[in-house]
Amino acid sequence: MRLIIRDDAGTASSYVANYIIDRIRHFNPTPSHPFVLGLPTGSSPLGVYRILVEKYKAGLISFENVVTFNMDEYVGIPRDHPESYHSFMWKHFFSHVNVNPNNVHILNGNAPNLEAECVEYENKIKRAGGIDLFLGGIGEDGHIAFNEPGSSLASRTRVKTLAYDTILANSRFFGNDVEKVPKMALTVGVQTVLEAREVVVIILGARKSLALQRCIEQGVNHMWTLSSLQLHPHPMIVCDEDATLELQVKTVKYFKSIEKVARDQGFEQILPSSIRTGPAPAPIPKTVVDEVQSPTILAPQPMTSRLLRATPATEYPVRSVSPDLIPDRMADRVGVPDLARRLTPQPEHQQQRLASVGA
Amino acid sequence: MPHSLPSSPKSAPRAGRNGITKFTNCRILRGNSLVNEDLWVDSATGKIIPSQAAFYDDLILPDDVINLGGRILSPGLIECQLNGAFGFNFSTLLEPATYAKKIREVNRQLATTGVTSYMPTITSQRSEIYKSALPHLGPSGEYQLAEDGAESVGAHVEGPFLNPTKNGIHNVDVLRQAESFEDLEDCYGADNLRNEDGYRPAAVKMITAAPELGQMTALVPELTRRGIVYSIGHSEATYEEASEAVGAGATMITHLFNAMRPLHHRNPGIFGVLGIAESLPRPWFGIIADGEHLHPTTIKIAFNAHPDGFILVTDAMHLVGLPDGTYAWTNGDCTSGIVKKGPKLILEGSDRIAGSSITLIECVNNFLNWTGASIPQALNAVTSTPAAMLGLQGVKGCLREGADADLVVFSENVNLHGRSELVIDEVWKFGTKIFSR
Repeated sequence: MRLIIRDDAGTASSYVANYIIDRIRHFNPTPSHPFVLGLPTGSSPLGVYRILVEKYKAGLISFENVVTFNMDEYVGIPRDHPESYHSFMWKHFFSHVNVNPNNVHILNGNAPNLEAECVEYENKIKRAGGIDLFLGGIGEDGHIAFNEPGSSLASRTRVKTLAYDTILANSRFFGNDVEKVPKMALTVGVQTVLEAREVVVIILGARKSLALQRCIEQGVNHMWTLSSLQLHPHPMIVCDEDATLELQVKTVKYFKSIEKVARDQGFEQILPSSIRTGPAPAPIPKTVVDEVQSPTILAPQPMTSRLLRATPATEYPVRSVSPDLIPDRMADRVGVPDLARRLTPQPEHQQQRLASVGA
Repeated sequence: MPHSLPSSPKSAPRAGRNGITKFTNCRILRGNSLVNEDLWVDSATGKIIPSQAAFYDDLILPDDVINLGGRILSPGLIECQLNGAFGFNFSTLLEPATYAKKIREVNRQLATTGVTSYMPTITSQRSEIYKSALPHLGPSGEYQLAEDGAESVGAHVEGPFLNPTKNGIHNVDVLRQAESFEDLEDCYGADNLRNEDGYRPAAVKMITAAPELGQMTALVPELTRRGIVYSIGHSEATYEEASEAVGAGATMITHLFNAMRPLHHRNPGIFGVLGIAESLPRPWFGIIADGEHLHPTTIKIAFNAHPDGFILVTDAMHLVGLPDGTYAWTNGDCTSGIVKKGPKLILEGSDRIAGSSITLIECVNNFLNWTGASIPQALNAVTSTPAAMLGLQGVKGCLREGADADLVVFSENVNLHGRSELVIDEVWKFGTKIFSR
C-alpha cells in the first residue's frame, strides 16, 4: 500500500490527475490496445476530473483510446435525471474530453433485468481485458463504490440496497427529500475493484479521516470495505492532510518518509512492466495435434493464475540489479594441477604453483 | 404551426459526417443570465440537440468542436416589424416571380444582420397589394433551408384599419374601417387569413389596427382563434378602449408611444394597459430604440413598466442598408421622397419621421447604452420575448433542446462610457454557419 499525503485537496487531486495522465501516456494506448480506466462519481473525484479536462484542453492528453467503466448507478431514476451518475459523468468529464461514446460503460439502472445487466457488466470488463487502473473515492463509512459496510469482500457487480446513512447523505442532492432518493443501486463488487491491475483511491477531508484510519492502520474488515485494498498488489491512496486526522503521527510520518526516500531514489509507484503497458495482445491460437500416447491422467492446472490475471503472484517488479551470485567450484579458480605433476610431487614445483596462484 | 410538423432536412452533411457541431467555451443566453455551457446543434434536423442523450444513446461525437473563446452565443434575433430592407419594400406590386426573387435576396442579406426570423410588414395599402404580396410572406418554416437565410414567421399587416388622425406616414386615402370579418377578408384576401386544412398556417400572423374604429374590437376573438396576433396601434384609443381590446384578446401594442395618444395623467391611454389595473394580462409591446422615435428615458420607463413584454423592433424601411440620399417612395398611389441621413428617415418637405433605417442589433446596443440593462435583458427583448408573443416558445428565441438552431455569436466590446456593445461575429441558421464577420 502506498499512501500519498498532500497539503490540501487541490494538490492531492492534482497528484492523482497527473498520475493517471502519466500512466495513460506511458501505456501508449491504441484502438486495439486501449487503456481501461475505472471511474468513480461523488465529490472527492471532482477536482481530478477538472484537472483531467484542463490537461485535455491544453492538448497534454488524449482519451481517444481510453475505455471507461463506471463504478455504480442508481436504480429507478431516469438516465438523464440531473442526479444520475450518467449525468454526473457527462457534466463533469465526458462532455469536455474526446472519450469515444462506444468506449464508455455505465451500469444501466433502468435495465429490464438488473441481474443480467450486472453479469453482462462483468463480462464487458473481461472482454475489455480487465481494468488497468480503477480510480475510486470512499464514503464516510469506508465504502468503495456502493459496497457498504458488511458487503462481501468477494462481491461482484450486483444490485445493492443503500444504507440509510447513504440515503440520508444523498438526500441533499434530491431537494432534502429522503423519499426522492433512490433506495437501490447497481455497483461493481469489492472483488471487481480488486481485480483491477491497479487501484488508486482519493480521500479528501476530515469527514473521511476515520475511514482512512480503519483502512490503513487496522486489518481487513468487511465493515470498512476499502480495507480490502490491503489485499491488492498495487494499491495507492492519495489523501489531503485533513483526512489524516485520525491516523497516528507515526503512520503519517512513516508514509511521508517512504515517499520521500522513494522519490530521492528516483522511482515512484513500482509496477511490473506488464502492468504498465497492459496485457500483451492475445497470441494467435495454434492448432495442437494431441499425440496418440497422451497421458491418461491429466496433470491438474492451477486455476488461480488465470482467474487472478490482475494479480499475478509470479511476477515481481524490476528493480535495479545487483550482480547475481554464480556458484562455481573453488577448483575452477585455482586450476587443476596436471595429473603427472600430482603423481610426482616435488617441493620446488609446489612452491612455484603456490606462488603463481598468488595465495 | 409549421414547426411542429416533420420537416425536410435542413442541410445534407457530407459523406461520413453527422452534421453535428458543438460550441464550447461560450456564454450562452439562458433566461436572465449568460452561463458557461456547451451547446450541440444538428445541421441535418436544424435543431439544438440534447447532448447527453446523443452521446449515450446515439453514440455520437460532434463533427466540429467550435471554441468561441468566451464569446456570447445567443438565439438568432427576431424582428417583428420590418417594412423592407436592402432596397426592397415589401409593400410593392410586382410580378409574383420577381417578388419571390426579391424576397429571397432580402432573406439572405437580412441574415447577415443577425436577424434569423422576422415578420415582413406591409403598411396601409390598397387591397390588391395585400392580395399579391401576402402569399409570398407567409411562414416558410418547414420548407426553409439554412442557406435561404432569414425566415418569415408570418406577415405583419400594419393597416389599413387605422385611425386617420394617427396615420403617421401611412396614406390616409387607403385607410378604412372594419364592420365585420368579411371586411378584413375583403381587404387582405380570405386565403391569407385562413389556416388552410390545418396544415399551412395563415400568411398573416399579426394585424395592427385601431380598436376604436368600426367593430374592430369585436373581431379580435375571431383573429386570435385563427392564431393571428391582434396588435393595438395607430390609434386614438382611450385607456378604456384599449383595456376593452386587451380584454377581447389583444396581446400586442405596435410601436408603443408612437402614433397613439401620449400618456395623460387623467387618461393614461394605451400605455395605461401596462399598469396592472383591470386584472387583465398585460400585452407585449414594440419599442423603436433608434434615437428618433423615442427619448431614451421613455424607453427606460416602458421597460421598467413591464420588462417581460418589452420587444425591440426597428420599423425599418427598405432603405436600411443603402447609402444616404433622397429616395423615391411609392406609397399606394402617390409617390413622395424620403430623405435618408444616417439612421434618420424624414418625409421630404416635412419633419415627419418616415420609419427608421436602423438594424435590430443597433437597437439592442442603443438600449444597452441608454438604460444600463444587462446583456441578457437586451437580448431577450429580441429573442425570447418576441418568440413568446408569437407563440413560438421552445422553437425560436431560446437555446433549449429541441429548439431551432438559429444562433448568433457576439463579441462584447466595452465602449468609452463603460457600457457593453455587441458585435455580430457569426450567424448560424438551422445549425449551419451562414455568415461570419
